[in-house]
Amino acid sequence: MKKTDFPIPDEQLLAQVAVVPGGENRSGTFILNNHLEVCSFSRSEGLELISITKALDTYPWLRKEHYHPQGTDEGRPEGFFLRVKEGMKITLPSQAALCMTASIDRQVLHNVIILEDEASLEFITGCVSGFDLAEGDHLAVTETYVGKGAEFTHTMVHSWGPGIRVFPRSTTLVEEGGRYVSNYVSLRSGRSVESSPVTYLNGPGASAKYASIILGSKGTTLTLGGDVYLNAPGTGAEIAHRAVCTGGKIVQKGLLIGNEACHAHVDCAGMIIDAGEDGFIESIPGLQSRHPSAHMSHEASIGKISPHQVQYLMAQGLEEREAVSMIIRGFLDTGIRGLGDELERRIEEIAELAGHGEE
Amino acid sequence: MFPVPGKLEIKNLAVEVGGVRVLHNIHLTVPPGEVHVLVGPNGSGKTSLLATIAGYPQYRVVSGSISYDGTDLLPLGLTERARLGIGLLEQRPPTINGVKLRLLLDYIGGDDPERKRFIEDLIKETDHAHLVDRNIHEDLSGGEIKKAGLLLLLARQPHFAMMDEPDSGVDMDSITLLCQLMNRLLSPEREHPAKRRTGLIITHSDVILGRVSTDKAHVMIDGRVLCGGNPRIIMKKIRESGFDSCVDCLHQGE
Ligand SMILES: Nc1ncnc2c1ncn2[C@@H]1O[C@H](COP(=O)(O)OP(=O)(O)OP(=O)(O)O)[C@@H](O)[C@H]1O
Ligand SMILES: [Mg+2]
Repeated sequence: MKKTDFPIPDEQLLAQVAVVPGGENRSGTFILNNHLEVCSFSRSEGLELISITKALDTYPWLRKEHYHPQGTDEGRPEGFFLRVKEGMKITLPSQAALCMTASIDRQVLHNVIILEDEASLEFITGCVSGFDLAEGDHLAVTETYVGKGAEFTHTMVHSWGPGIRVFPRSTTLVEEGGRYVSNYVSLRSGRSVESSPVTYLNGPGASAKYASIILGSKGTTLTLGGDVYLNAPGTGAEIAHRAVCTGGKIVQKGLLIGNEACHAHVDCAGMIIDAGEDGFIESIPGLQSRHPSAHMSHEASIGKISPHQVQYLMAQGLEEREAVSMIIRGFLDTGIRGLGDELERRIEEIAELAGHGEE
Repeated sequence: MFPVPGKLEIKNLAVEVGGVRVLHNIHLTVPPGEVHVLVGPNGSGKTSLLATIAGYPQYRVVSGSISYDGTDLLPLGLTERARLGIGLLEQRPPTINGVKLRLLLDYIGGDDPERKRFIEDLIKETDHAHLVDRNIHEDLSGGEIKKAGLLLLLARQPHFAMMDEPDSGVDMDSITLLCQLMNRLLSPEREHPAKRRTGLIITHSDVILGRVSTDKAHVMIDGRVLCGGNPRIIMKKIRESGFDSCVDCLHQGE
C-alpha cells in the first residue's frame, strides 16, 4: 500500500461516483487526483492494481502486447493497470477513482485491464470533477482483455461539472467463453461526453452486455455508442441504453456486427421530461449481419411520461415529484436489472433529479 | 365516540372534459358510514363523476361544489384529496412499466411498522403475492387488474372508498373473493360489521349487490343524477324495464 502527501479528494466527491474512500469492502483501490496517484493497493491475492506508469516500467511485455498508444496519448498518460491472475475469482469488487479537482487543462489517461483465463472481478470506476472546477478535458483510453472463461463487470459512474468535456475510448477483447458486462451511469454529464466503446467477441461463446443510464440536463451533449463485433460462433451481445432528457442533447447509438452465428439485441429507450430550448434524444440502434445464422434484433422508443401515470400515483397519495421519480425509476430499471446496491442508489438519484426537472 | 369520517356532499355540480360538458347539475350526498351505488348506461358520466371527486384535473368543474367532511375539495389537488382519505379503484388504471406494485405498497406502508405489517398480512391472506411482484398493471388480465386495485385500496384504508366497476372482467369464482375484500374494506371491524366506511360504487352486478350491503342507489343518465332510492327496488326496476324507464320517470317530473 502506498500513500502520498497529495491531497486526497473530498470524500463526498468520491461517494458521488460510488467509490469508498477508505477502500472498505473493496478488493482493491486506485485513486488518481489530477496527474497524481493518491493511492493504489490490492487486498486480494491474485489481484494487481497499480499505476500504468509503474506497470509499464515493471512489465516489458505490457507495452508490446496490451498497450496501444492512441492519438490522445501525448506525453506520459496517467491511469491504472489492473490484472486478475488466472483462475482467481475475486468476490469483493475493486474500484478506481479518477478525479479532476485542480485547474488542469486536460487529464489524459490510459488504463489497461487484464483478466486472465477463468478469472472474475467486478470493477467500479468513478470519474468526477471538483465542485469548483470550471472547465477541462478528460481523455481516457481503456484497453480490456477478458481471457477464456473469464468474467468481468465494469461499472463506470460519472459525475462532471458543467464545463468538463469527456472522451472515453475503450476497446475490449473477449476470448472463448468469456463475459464482459459494461454499465455506464451518468448523473452529471459535464458539457459533453463522447463515448464509443468497441468490443470484439473473438472466441466461441463469448458474450458482452452494455447497459447505460444517463441523465441529460440542460447544457450537456451526450453521445453514447457501443459497437460489438460478434466474430465467433455462439457469441452473444446485448446493448440497453436508457436516457432521461431534461434539456440536454442525447444521442444513443449501438451497432452490432454479426460475423458468425450469434445472438444480438440492441434496445435504446429515451424519456423526455423537458426538452427545454434545444434538448433532444436521438436513438440509432444498428445491426450489420454477415452470416445467415446471425440472429439480430433492435428496438427503440422515445416518449414522455404519461400524465395518467403521474395522476394515478398522485391519487394514491404521492406528490407529483414523487410520482415522476417513481415512474422514471421504473423506466430506468426496465431491461437493466440486478445492477447492485451502488447503482440502485445512483438510479434513485437520477430519478430524484429528473423528478425535480433540473439539476 | 368519534364521528365517522367521510361525508361527501355534492351540490349543483357541472363538469367539462375536453371542452364537452359531461356532468350537469349533480346533487348527491353520501352520509358518513353509508355505501351508495351509482348506476347508469355506458357513457352516462359515472366514471367522470368519480374522477372529478378524486381530483383528476382534466375534469374541469364549471360550477357547483364538492365538500368532504365539510372541507371544500375543489381547491385541492389529487395528492391532497388522497391524503384526506379519498380512494378510487379506477375502471381503467394505467400501466406503469418497470414499477412493481410492491414499490407502491412500500410507499403506502411508509415508516409505520404497524401499517407495513398490516399490508404484508393482507398480501398473504388474499394470496396476492404474485401480483405484488408484477409491474403495475403491466400484462395483467382484466380480473387481475381489479384484484390489484382492490388490494391497493385495502392497503390505503381510505375513509371514503370509490370503486369503478370492480367486478368487470372478474370471473365467477373470483367475484366471491372480491366481495369479501370489498366487505373487509367497507366494514373494517370484524366484530362490528355495521360500523362502516363511506363508499360510492359503480356496479350493475347482482352478485356484488347481493353480497355487499348498500344503502342507496343513484341513477345517472346523460350526465345527470335522475333519481335515488333503495338499491334493490331501483335495480329491480332497471332490470325489468331498462334505463328507459328512468327517463320516463324524469319526464313525468317535468
Ligand atoms: N378524458 C375525456 N376526454 C373526452 N371525453 C371524455 C373523457 N372522459 C369521458 N369522456 C366522455 O364523457 C362521457 C361520459 O364518460 P364516462 O366515462 O364518465 O361514462 P361512464 O358512465 O363511466 O360509462 P361506462 O359505463 O361505459 O364506463 C362519455 O361520452 C365519454 O366519451
Ligand atoms: Mg365508466
